Amino acid sequence: MRPTRFGSESFGALALVLAVALCATAGAAEAGRSASHSRQPTRPMQWLQRMNHALTVLDYEGTFAHSQSGKVQMLRIIHRVKHGVVSERLQSLDGSGREFIRRGSKLTCYLPDKRVVLVEHMPPMSSLLGGIPVINAETARFYDIREAARMRVDQHETRLITVMPRDQYRYGYRLWIDRTGLPLKIQLWDARKRPGGHVIEQIAFATLKVRSHIPDSAFKPGMSTAGYRWLRTDAPAPQSGKGRMPAWNARWLPPGFHMALSAAQVMPGSPGPVDHLVYTDGLASVSVFVEKHAEPAPRGPVVESARMGASYVFSTFVDGHRVTAVGEVPARTVRSIADSVRAGKASLARLPAGPFAHAPQP
Amino acid sequence: MNEELDSQLSAMFDDELPAAECELLARRLSRDDALKARWSRYAVIGAVIRSERGVVLQSAVAGRVNEALTREPVLVAASGPPWRGRMAGWTRLVAGAAMAAGVAAVSILWLRLQASGMGQPAEMTVASASAPAGQRTVSNASDSFVVPPASTQPAMMAVPPTQLADYVVAHSAYSWPISRGSLLSALMVGEPGSGSSAAVSGRQASGGHGHATHPIR
Repeated sequence: MRPTRFGSESFGALALVLAVALCATAGAAEAGRSASHSRQPTRPMQWLQRMNHALTVLDYEGTFAHSQSGKVQMLRIIHRVKHGVVSERLQSLDGSGREFIRRGSKLTCYLPDKRVVLVEHMPPMSSLLGGIPVINAETARFYDIREAARMRVDQHETRLITVMPRDQYRYGYRLWIDRTGLPLKIQLWDARKRPGGHVIEQIAFATLKVRSHIPDSAFKPGMSTAGYRWLRTDAPAPQSGKGRMPAWNARWLPPGFHMALSAAQVMPGSPGPVDHLVYTDGLASVSVFVEKHAEPAPRGPVVESARMGASYVFSTFVDGHRVTAVGEVPARTVRSIADSVRAGKASLARLPAGPFAHAPQP
Repeated sequence: MNEELDSQLSAMFDDELPAAECELLARRLSRDDALKARWSRYAVIGAVIRSERGVVLQSAVAGRVNEALTREPVLVAASGPPWRGRMAGWTRLVAGAAMAAGVAAVSILWLRLQASGMGQPAEMTVASASAPAGQRTVSNASDSFVVPPASTQPAMMAVPPTQLADYVVAHSAYSWPISRGSLLSALMVGEPGSGSSAAVSGRQASGGHGHATHPIR
């Protein structure tokens, strides 16, 4: 990679974008302040907004340790947004030599241990810049958002922002955010276990650098692919029906969750269109997929659940359709949402409150 | 550049400037190249400081984190022992299918290759098939919940792993950047099950999954 050129024109433009974004945030926060007559409570939220923007608009490069379930691995990430196109390169530093390089909607996976290169296309909708949850006053009803401390992480000044759920339907976060807005350390917390909860997952950056310019060459694989086998998949068909009236809906949602998306889309692995519903509380999100089951529906309940990273998946059958919920929330939340999905428009009030009926309300 | 402007700029970067002033300054930034350059320098201060650092945390952080996390309960256990074995298929096949949209896609391909080259992987079992019938309550510390009665059906996957991975990819586009990022790395070391190399060298996917895989070289 070429040496960093600070203060370049491109960075100036980027900085301006960031400045305007920060101003927009500050404007929203100002409105909040005038309502609460207190400047301090909105500040941690501003930091979260700044982080969201930094992660999506900044060009950066870093190495980090990812820890979960007692396993730790080191990785390197390079992220760039140029002319609206996201490029990302993820490298394993732990021996396999694997690299995943994404440019726009095309993902290329270099697997030297298998001598294989895989090329896959992302769904057109999956822009990193799209669909980012907005953190606002409503979010604070369900999470206790605080600046817990200012401290140094690896000699960098950071603010520890804690985002702890006020109920048991969601996870909490502890974020060490530096002045650029990038998080140097991230912990996902299960706050349900007392006292104090426990860490489910952690990312700790060993290095994290904002770059003013990342050349195209940074997104080239670090290996020769001579003699490798190349495999690719076709691009998926575009989605359709965005914003239409959903044919399915969850009849139970945790407090604060609302529908953020309802779309019918054609997915690579599915013969017919799949209903995709997204529910979010501003931070956590749960997707529900409803797909007509090609074979005769199984008799009796067939349920399946899995854990993927910090997310859970729960699947069941409803009226000849397979309903699958995926989300970065506790298993029982995912399951309760999936179990409540029915055809037709939602009417949340009529239905039972799910297995958490006695949970404390925010 | 006058001192007041300089201090305003500094305050804006530190997020200390009132919104109205911030907006004015941003407007001025857009047409003042000198100011723009100044802003860039502020923005870069942190990066300069950090750029002096090497990868010094690797072993220390890894070790400490590992130590801390090994004391934590594994979340899969939250579903209770009866689920554990039954989840093994999915869990292993998509272990670490990442929220990062791009990365998760890898598992799709791997899984497709597996499905096409080797049929259903041996460890892919059904949640309901191996479970005894009847409702049960799973306890885990202070929590308990009801597991639905098991089906007596022959083995059937609720969701084929290929579709499951596609779901995760689609979901990831709507995740908080933190959630997306937190899973970036999971797939990097996650083997989608034994025999994957055999699957790669096996025959190509048919259109059976609605998404053909074919060589481009």
